[in-house]
Amino acid sequence: MALLGCRLIGLDDPRRRDQIKKLIVYVEMDRCTADAVAFVTGAKLGRRSLKFMDYGIMAATFINLDGPRAFRVISTEEARDLAPLYAPGETDKSRQQIEAYRKMPECVLFRVQKVHVPISPYDLPGPTRSKVTCTRCGQVVRDGKEIIRDGEPLCKPCALGAYFQNPQAIGWPEMHRSPDDQAEACPERDPNAT
Amino acid sequence: MLKKVPLEQSIGTSLAHDITEVRPGEFKGPAFRKGHRVCEEDICHLQRLGKNHLYVVDLEPDELHENEAAALLAAAIAGPGVVWQNDPREGKIEMFAESDGLVRIDTAALGALNMIDEVMCATVHTHTRIRKGELVAATRAIPLVVKREPIERATAIARSHGAIVEVLPLRPARVGLIITGDEVYHGRIRDGFEPILRRKLADLGATVQAVAFLPDDAERIGEKIREHLGAECDLLLLTGGMSVDPDDVTRHGIRLAGADEIHYGTAVLPGAMLLVAYVGAVPIIGVPACGLHHPATALDLVLPRILAGERIGKAQLAFLGHGGLCRQCPTCIFPRCAFGKTT
Repeated sequence: MALLGCRLIGLDDPRRRDQIKKLIVYVEMDRCTADAVAFVTGAKLGRRSLKFMDYGIMAATFINLDGPRAFRVISTEEARDLAPLYAPGETDKSRQQIEAYRKMPECVLFRVQKVHVPISPYDLPGPTRSKVTCTRCGQVVRDGKEIIRDGEPLCKPCALGAYFQNPQAIGWPEMHRSPDDQAEACPERDPNAT
Repeated sequence: MLKKVPLEQSIGTSLAHDITEVRPGEFKGPAFRKGHRVCEEDICHLQRLGKNHLYVVDLEPDELHENEAAALLAAAIAGPGVVWQNDPREGKIEMFAESDGLVRIDTAALGALNMIDEVMCATVHTHTRIRKGELVAATRAIPLVVKREPIERATAIARSHGAIVEVLPLRPARVGLIITGDEVYHGRIRDGFEPILRRKLADLGATVQAVAFLPDDAERIGEKIREHLGAECDLLLLTGGMSVDPDDVTRHGIRLAGADEIHYGTAVLPGAMLLVAYVGAVPIIGVPACGLHHPATALDLVLPRILAGERIGKAQLAFLGHGGLCRQCPTCIFPRCAFGKTT
């Protein structure tokens, strides 16, 4: 998937220094494919060249910022069903898939869409574009990710809610503990306690 | 895009597709061909065919008519030895053998193509012996109007495998026959193998260049094999001595001749004791005794493939198992039966 995507956008060695800065990859699943794509391309979350879209789809979009050319490569579901035909001599299912995927041409393994990906300047690699402070919790928010409510900037957890619940600040003694100390240092908290 | 027109308003329009007529036991085919301009006299006939509406096709740039789609598919599916004409009937294009030979289907590619919605290709079994002009495959798009994308995808899959359907020519082999067995050599019984094998070989376009009769003597069998090879035989068939008796020494003789690859035993009945060996590039087939009285055996499955240039090894013999059981029908119709039709 990664090799095909990079080839389509004209990058033959995406890990090379002159190419790595041109590449942005959107992965649409948090499965092994995402790690494989990241490894082969060298794209990283921290470099802002790897974007995660939580679609649960075996697909990734490859963008050459020089182009801009963008192609979305999608794994076909039928490739799995076709494995016994491509590797009939292998009876172990896992090994059969590996052998079959090696033999399958790209057009059997993948579908490809030419796509346009509007990328905000705030999402591009490079230095931090902006910093604002959430007027509710005081957290600094980088790169335009704040939400403006009634003209005031809020961080997303304050404005939209967060993936975590009941945040409670803890003091230094508790931060300093290790899991082995759990019994004596960290008695069970009642999340509903005030 | 398809527009539905009531039949009574269709006079003067051109048919968007062939219209099929089926008269049980009498006729099945197009009553009207695509492009036919509907006239008043057609209306009753069309009503008899159950038509109350007709389609008018107005294709979008990303759409194809079924006939155009079928031609694109056929061009990608048909490989060497396969011919077809761009004259779809009822949206379907048939492909035929350009000459006598052996059909080879890339079953993986065929499966991949048929996994695409709205396209299909059906073929005869791979390794079917075929005559010039016989039907080997047919393809079509399923709907009357199809998007370009699945057609382009299907053709890309076919082309990425080279092609899907081929008819391989059978090489005109020069065959050396070695008929072993004390009972025949000493004249106790009459040999039945030579005429049978001559007939089968002639049917496949091969010629018998040399025939030898030998006793159950491994040394002499080995020597005769080398002699036949020296006489430029490029395929050897040995009969007799392929079983499990102490006098069955033909295998040993083949080994003495320098065979560097010997596969004894096939997943086929009749014909489990068939042997395939190679001295260099020259194949040697040990024909089991069942070849004397069964019209079709493992030999009939393996021989055409060897003549088509395939090197038969352990896997090829093992994979014959699925479909390798002859049903011993009172009237044998091989090869028009399931015997030897593997996937």
